Amino acid sequence: MTAALVSITLRSLLNRRRTVLLALLGVLLIAVVGLFLLSDPTPEQAVQVTRSLLSDLAIGVLLPLVAVIVGTAAIGSELDDGTIVYLLARPVPRWRIVIVKLLVAWVVVTLLVAPATLVAGLIGQGDPALAIGFAVAAVIGALEYTAIFVALSLITSRALIVGLAYVVIWEGVVAGLFEGTRTFSVRQHVLAIAEALGGGNADGIAEVALPVAIGTIVVVTAAAAILAVRRLETVELRGETT
Amino acid sequence: MSVLRLEAASRWYGNVVAVNDVTFDVGAGITGLLGPNGAGKTTLLHMMAGFLRPSAGTVQLDDTPTWRHPELYRRVGLVPEREAVYGFLTGLQFVTAAAQLQGLDDPGGAAERAIGLVDLHESAGRAIGGYSKGMRQRVKVAAALVHDPSVLILDEPFNGMDPRQRLHMMDLLRSMSAEGRTILFSSHILEEVERLSDRVLVVVAGRLAASGDFRRIRRLMTDRPHTFTLRSSDDRRLARELLATPEVDAVNLHEGILTVSTRDYGALTRNVAPAAKRAGVSLLELRPADESLESVFSYLVRR
Repeated sequence: MTAALVSITLRSLLNRRRTVLLALLGVLLIAVVGLFLLSDPTPEQAVQVTRSLLSDLAIGVLLPLVAVIVGTAAIGSELDDGTIVYLLARPVPRWRIVIVKLLVAWVVVTLLVAPATLVAGLIGQGDPALAIGFAVAAVIGALEYTAIFVALSLITSRALIVGLAYVVIWEGVVAGLFEGTRTFSVRQHVLAIAEALGGGNADGIAEVALPVAIGTIVVVTAAAAILAVRRLETVELRGETT
Repeated sequence: MSVLRLEAASRWYGNVVAVNDVTFDVGAGITGLLGPNGAGKTTLLHMMAGFLRPSAGTVQLDDTPTWRHPELYRRVGLVPEREAVYGFLTGLQFVTAAAQLQGLDDPGGAAERAIGLVDLHESAGRAIGGYSKGMRQRVKVAAALVHDPSVLILDEPFNGMDPRQRLHMMDLLRSMSAEGRTILFSSHILEEVERLSDRVLVVVAGRLAASGDFRRIRRLMTDRPHTFTLRSSDDRRLARELLATPEVDAVNLHEGILTVSTRDYGALTRNVAPAAKRAGVSLLELRPADESLESVFSYLVRR
């Protein structure tokens, strides 16, 4: 039962041309780091610039962009085209559909973001701890973002647009303005983990304390998953004619 | 034997009433749900399939509400109207996935059997994305049959099938009905329902307009007054002549259009040409004015 859900979700996510384009974004991140290296930086400059690129480009742009596109498609695309009926007309508990799809989407987001982040971090500067810290943080951040966007796709049929607006307006601007809002910024949660795992070169990149970040990640991810299950339990399918 | 039961079931979307206070039972055998497009057939089927909550009343399968009871799908097979399928899967993969989702012990064997039932063996290894409409319909039916359900709900199952596939599907449904299964299918085509159903439910504008034996309903349909429009070289003279014939109930000449009402469809079509000849006018056109299915249905509703 679970194997069929995994297979269908994985294949429908990987079959999309968008996914190939998203993989290219990871390559772009590595290319930007490569271009920077052409300027022959000092070791200190290399650490500083690579850290900024990982923080602003990998965690600030690549991760949320990939997560919003993959996360909203994991269930949302099947709701849009009606193929969800082939899952809902089976004696499969709704929570299992949501959890399996969430986990598969998480894996896909992780594969599209974490390796590129790791490679960019490793080639950009000489401290492997910094690169590994960011890559592991991206894996955890991918789960929180994906859970939010899967839930969003069950709340609105315009999840991609709403999700992109959230990424740009909330994560990009509002969350950075005030101390109170930073607690609810996924990006800050990811940076807090990167800081904790990234060694001395990662000091000072986060503006939220690690325990707060971890606690919020757990609560937000669980709440989003529960909300998604509840929504799928009561989703109504009208058919084409109505 | 499984029974689908609607009691005073209604469903509305905002201000729009899609299904209005409908009560009926569907038991073993083949029941046809007939109605024009937009009559509420899909809404009814989706309520019975547990995809829509009734706004009022109840929809049950053997005393269990269909809404929010996914375990009922162990006994129910559903063929949705929407054409969307997982185009990236082969037919065999699609039906096998269905068997796995049902939790069957031998998904591969069950899938092979179901594909054999719909005669799709040759194309089972190809991606569904490249299937014709009729093949997609059949692979959907195979997926619906994979767990040997006692209740089968099919929304416009013959759409896109060629005549041979249609006959094959009708034979399949008949044999399943003979095994005591409850089969409900919707159609907007009278002949499909006539050829297949033991019993028919006619839905018009969200209401149950008629239900029961098809022959009785068919008689109701043929007994109704028919209206024809005519064009001739002299409509006024033709109208006078037609009014004198016994099968004509009424003649109307309005804004240059001659319409004639009759209760005897056959007699009128036989006698209109001789009447024109007697009147010495050339008959240019004789056209039934209200032969659309919608007009048949709305006549049933008015009764």
